[in-house]
Amino acid sequence: MNDTPYWNPRHETMPRADIDALQVRKLRNLVEWADVQVPWQSKRLRDAGVTADQIQSLDDLKRIPLMTRDEWMQGQLEAPPYGPILAVPESAAIRYHMTSGTTGKTPIRVLDSMKDWEWIAEMWCYGMWGFGVRPQDALFIAFGYATFIGFWGLHYAGEKMGCLVLPGGAMATDARVKTLVDMGATVVASTPTYALRMAQEAKALGIDLASGPVKRLILSGEPAGSIPATKKLIEEQWGAKAADTAGMTELGTIMIFECEAQPGGTHIIEDHYIEEVLDPDSGEPVGYGELGERVVTSFGRGFIPVLRYRTRDFVVRVPGSSCTCGRTFDIYDGGIRGRVDDMKLVRGTNVYPRAVESIVREHAEIDEFQIHLFTADGIRDEIEVLIEVPDPAVDVDRLLESLGRDLADAHEGLRFGVARADDGTLPRFELKAKRLVDERIVIGSEGERRGQT
Amino acid sequence: MMQNHMGAELTEPEAKLVDCYRSLASMLQMHGEDLPPFARRNALKALAALWQVMNGLDMDPGQVYDLGA
Repeated sequence: MNDTPYWNPRHETMPRADIDALQVRKLRNLVEWADVQVPWQSKRLRDAGVTADQIQSLDDLKRIPLMTRDEWMQGQLEAPPYGPILAVPESAAIRYHMTSGTTGKTPIRVLDSMKDWEWIAEMWCYGMWGFGVRPQDALFIAFGYATFIGFWGLHYAGEKMGCLVLPGGAMATDARVKTLVDMGATVVASTPTYALRMAQEAKALGIDLASGPVKRLILSGEPAGSIPATKKLIEEQWGAKAADTAGMTELGTIMIFECEAQPGGTHIIEDHYIEEVLDPDSGEPVGYGELGERVVTSFGRGFIPVLRYRTRDFVVRVPGSSCTCGRTFDIYDGGIRGRVDDMKLVRGTNVYPRAVESIVREHAEIDEFQIHLFTADGIRDEIEVLIEVPDPAVDVDRLLESLGRDLADAHEGLRFGVARADDGTLPRFELKAKRLVDERIVIGSEGERRGQT
Repeated sequence: MMQNHMGAELTEPEAKLVDCYRSLASMLQMHGEDLPPFARRNALKALAALWQVMNGLDMDPGQVYDLGA
């Protein structure tokens, strides 16, 4: 049985009708739990006329009100530190975590119990086992082990699976590279950005990672894990397969993972979540193959029941059958495509950092980059991409010209400035990269504010 | 044979794990407070892990926060 590619074979290969039936039953249980345990949730449900016994099919899901991050944060401000969302007394918790602050000013604070933490690790087990990680692996985790929940769950999943876990906290990059090589790590977990950073460091140390024992990289924390050019670069530099995963502090763990067949997307863990894809403006569901916003309902973490949470993540859902692995769990093609809030409007053209990265990473000579938005002559939006090119043999003028043309072609002819930055001057990141700097003082586009980054 | 909530028959080892969970939860409910710290806390840890088995077998384990897990 241990040679199965699935962590939970029965669930991961369920026919669609059975997945639906399982989700309906779990949804009913969750609504009942939230209604009884969380007065704030109970009022929302009752105001919408929803009770657990009325949940008969997935169509009933849309009667449950959507929940936003703003509501969550407002609740925290009104009833600090956690807001009115806890289903269980704080005394039952064994751990505290908070969001990393990618969006919003107030971090979301969460608590979990012993059972919840076992579940958090369980979700990572789906992803790691599904990508081929096995008990005999040595797992190096390049992560800071602080209040950001990040790879904590993966750490416990590694222990649960019987791997040798190599915690890589509180180390400089060179020490991490040396440690993972010295200890014979076969699997490495990090953000995509940091996987590239470690590869740069290895090169500087004269270490050839591609000929080393690392066979798999588990990426999380940024959409770049599913950008084909970035992923290809990581896989080439490490001589290993890379899999994308994505999670949220609001859920405590991951909800999607890439399997060993690497279908160019991530399977949704559908026996633990209901994932909807909605038009962000109208709130109406979009079909397979259409871009929309993820809305998640989670069955696992009872401490904080999450019902129809608007994630602001853009995704494109496709049937599970588009992968050859045999899972029936549907897929987000291309993983998380970006965030609703990520888009910048520059002289009338939509610019997404992910799209820029996918073009920049086509040029392997570029070591690091930054997208810089500024106001020229006090009135005009400008966008430039700064790049570091450490190899003296590269024809930089030609590279600048080629990159500028590629960026313009992909953005309705929008003119991008492309300039070389001195080596080592652009910021490096360990966790979530922030490669877009918006210094515009006059922003003509609707919905954008001064100083947004 | 034991069936889960989807009507699937559990294997004998799976059914034994279900029995384990139920027996452990029941014991903690009735006698948890009487156990010495090492026994109670380790039993709760085991319950939290077995809860995942119940959930994965589709046996609707309910919530165990009131027991301390």
